[in-house]
Amino acid sequence: MDNATGLHVMDMRTDEILARRTRRQRKTALVGVILLGLVIWSVDVTVVQDTDWERIGSLGEVMEAASQFAGIDFSLFPSLIGPTLETLLIACLGTAMGAVLCVPATWFGAMNITPFAPITYPIARLMMTLSRSVHEIVWALFFVAVFGLGAMAGVFAIAMRSIGFIAKLSAEAIEDIDPGPVEAMRATGANTFQVMLYAILPQVLPQVIGTVIFEWEINIRRSAVLGLVGAGGLGLVFFRQMNTFNFHGVTSVIIAILAIIFLGEAISHAIRRRMI
Amino acid sequence: MAVLEVRELRARYSARGPEILKGISFDVEGDDFFAIIGPSGAGKSTLIRCINRLVNPTSGSIVFNGHDVTKMSSKDLRMVRRDIGMIFQEFNLIDRMSVMDNVLAGRLGYTGNLRTLFRMFPRKDIDHALHLLDRVGLSDHVDKRADELSGGQRQRVGIARALMQDPKLMLLDEPTSALDPKISREIMALIKEMAQELNVPCLCNIHDVKLAMEFCNKMIGLQDGMTMFAGPTEQMNEAKLDEIYAMEVL
Amino acid sequence: MTANASPASQAPAIPKRWSRYKHPESLYSYAGWLIAFSVVVFSIEYLNIPLDRLFGMFGRMGEVIAQRYYPADIDYIMDRDYLGYVIETIQMAYLGALFGLLITIPLAWFAAYNMTPSKLFVYPGARVFSMSCRAVHETIWAILFVSILGYGMLPGVLALTLFSAGFAAKLFAEEIEAIDMGQVEAMRATGANLFQVMVFGVFPQVRVAFTGIAIYTWDVAFRAATVVGFFGAGGMGWYLKRSVLQIETERVAAIILSIIVLVLISELLSAWARNTVMKMK
Repeated sequence: MDNATGLHVMDMRTDEILARRTRRQRKTALVGVILLGLVIWSVDVTVVQDTDWERIGSLGEVMEAASQFAGIDFSLFPSLIGPTLETLLIACLGTAMGAVLCVPATWFGAMNITPFAPITYPIARLMMTLSRSVHEIVWALFFVAVFGLGAMAGVFAIAMRSIGFIAKLSAEAIEDIDPGPVEAMRATGANTFQVMLYAILPQVLPQVIGTVIFEWEINIRRSAVLGLVGAGGLGLVFFRQMNTFNFHGVTSVIIAILAIIFLGEAISHAIRRRMI
Repeated sequence: MAVLEVRELRARYSARGPEILKGISFDVEGDDFFAIIGPSGAGKSTLIRCINRLVNPTSGSIVFNGHDVTKMSSKDLRMVRRDIGMIFQEFNLIDRMSVMDNVLAGRLGYTGNLRTLFRMFPRKDIDHALHLLDRVGLSDHVDKRADELSGGQRQRVGIARALMQDPKLMLLDEPTSALDPKISREIMALIKEMAQELNVPCLCNIHDVKLAMEFCNKMIGLQDGMTMFAGPTEQMNEAKLDEIYAMEVL
Repeated sequence: MTANASPASQAPAIPKRWSRYKHPESLYSYAGWLIAFSVVVFSIEYLNIPLDRLFGMFGRMGEVIAQRYYPADIDYIMDRDYLGYVIETIQMAYLGALFGLLITIPLAWFAAYNMTPSKLFVYPGARVFSMSCRAVHETIWAILFVSILGYGMLPGVLALTLFSAGFAAKLFAEEIEAIDMGQVEAMRATGANLFQVMVFGVFPQVRVAFTGIAIYTWDVAFRAATVVGFFGAGGMGWYLKRSVLQIETERVAAIILSIIVLVLISELLSAWARNTVMKMK
């Protein structure tokens, strides 16, 4: 009798385990099906229904439309030199300005040096997030509205967009410093400013410079499109070529953009390697 | 008159945390080389950091040259700190600066913000730094970066930096714990020599009892934040040491 | 009062003078500073930035915000149509990120120097492709696809796909390059083929990192998705463009606000998701 009950319990257990496993498998499958359904629904809404298939026509027609861009308008290159330089300089100046403007955000945003944590720390975090969550095109739109068309709006847009990233990484670097030198400097009777200059800055400087250069590299890419909304540089030329249906000219502009981005990447790579 | 009078000093890191120092009293006089010994966790490091208020004591008094340090405004505190040189266990040098700049950093308390920004120290500070570097045996390493030096050399820079302050008192926080025995002895000898030469009393926090017996003239033994022994080194003996280190967890 | 005057200092003759100026090194660093300074000055000059009017402009900035962008037209973004566009934006972003990540897996494998099937041909090809995807800004991709395929979300999805692929491939390839080669060698020693080595030797090591990168990619793709519509590629950017063109500044302010809020939410979600993934590791 006892034995039978025991066996029965064992059976129950095996059933239980099997049932549990099936349930888990079902759960995974259900999640998978839901995710797949979501993807199919999204594809249906965004691609199948939303697209004007008549306008696109056959694959051949698409290839034909794409092939319009195959070809380079060499006559455009001389007139690209100015805007290319402008794009580079917008990136340089914007990054420099961002690096300067991020100092207060960094100071407030590093938990170990923030002057009054309950207030200044959230302010800094808000500044960082605000700066990063607004796309550069939106920043540029805003500054074009304020300053009018031209490079200045671009510089400000780049600067604003850079603050968050530089400040975030710099603040993290400051939070990771060795506190020993800070203690030593305080022990010599140095004031807060001197402690920052002597004990904190030398420790984080290589990382901060690395971050700024990295951001500069990204900013070249960004400043190349600000002209699309009137903030100067190559984007404006791109826009004009597009509007005049000079598709070979569009390719030329893209080549110019790629050239300065690769140049920037090479420079930043060289500097960062030398620093280490 | 005592340079430093510590009375009934108590400290804890947080309001609910354990009390680290439970009423410590002692005097440091003009030519003392005063050792604080005791097992790790006894509160040596906290005690020495209370003197220049890198750690704030909860009660008690610390009178340095006639002024109570515990009740000072931050401005007065900086004035006191620049009169107290400090040497650290981990040297606490600024790794990415030159030896010269590290030594000059000892003058920060005397230097204005603008001069600090451009590192424009007065000529006489630079001459003094050169002299001190010569005395600690680093005249060949003036322009090297601090992180290029060996441990013993780094502590020599630390000594020069502390002496650069023209201290009226030196705090030594385990100055030799990060060094090997031979170098430890050299460093202690150098500190003692310089202290005697410049007439600076030293308060030294030291784990190695042998070194303490050899170099110090007075000592207090701490155990769990309480004084277990206080007096001249000659009165110290094995039995008392065993008592102090009884709770040492190895 | 320095210790020079101290009694016992033996032979206080200073052995040598010290100067901060070191012959060639200091000169180089001065030159570096001079170049940096000149670049800034030249930039300001070349870009016609009116330094003298700069501070007045900040006043103007406050004025513009206060008069034109305030108060934001919140009702406008609570509209059903607008919310529909927000959902489209989200769909676009996650389809773009998803397709981009699907491309990333082989691309990163080819572009990781230690695992690439051929260092001579595949590696440089994959590198150039991922670099180009990354180098060309998402808005330019959007414009190009719109000009080929017409307005709509399809060009947006394609633009975001290329953008995400370029972005994720770089990070993922770096992750693959940092793996422990010992496990890979062990797999090779068993006679596993290239694919099997990937599945058993490499994938387990980078799984968590890949999940982290995937979440990050979604985050970045969503930020990009909010503006591709500005150039005709669908989503809320299209609303932004319409309001900008009609100079409905209070609506623009409302849209920008909604973008900020959505990006914040997505950032919080992705930070939470990444933390969860890291814990599961």
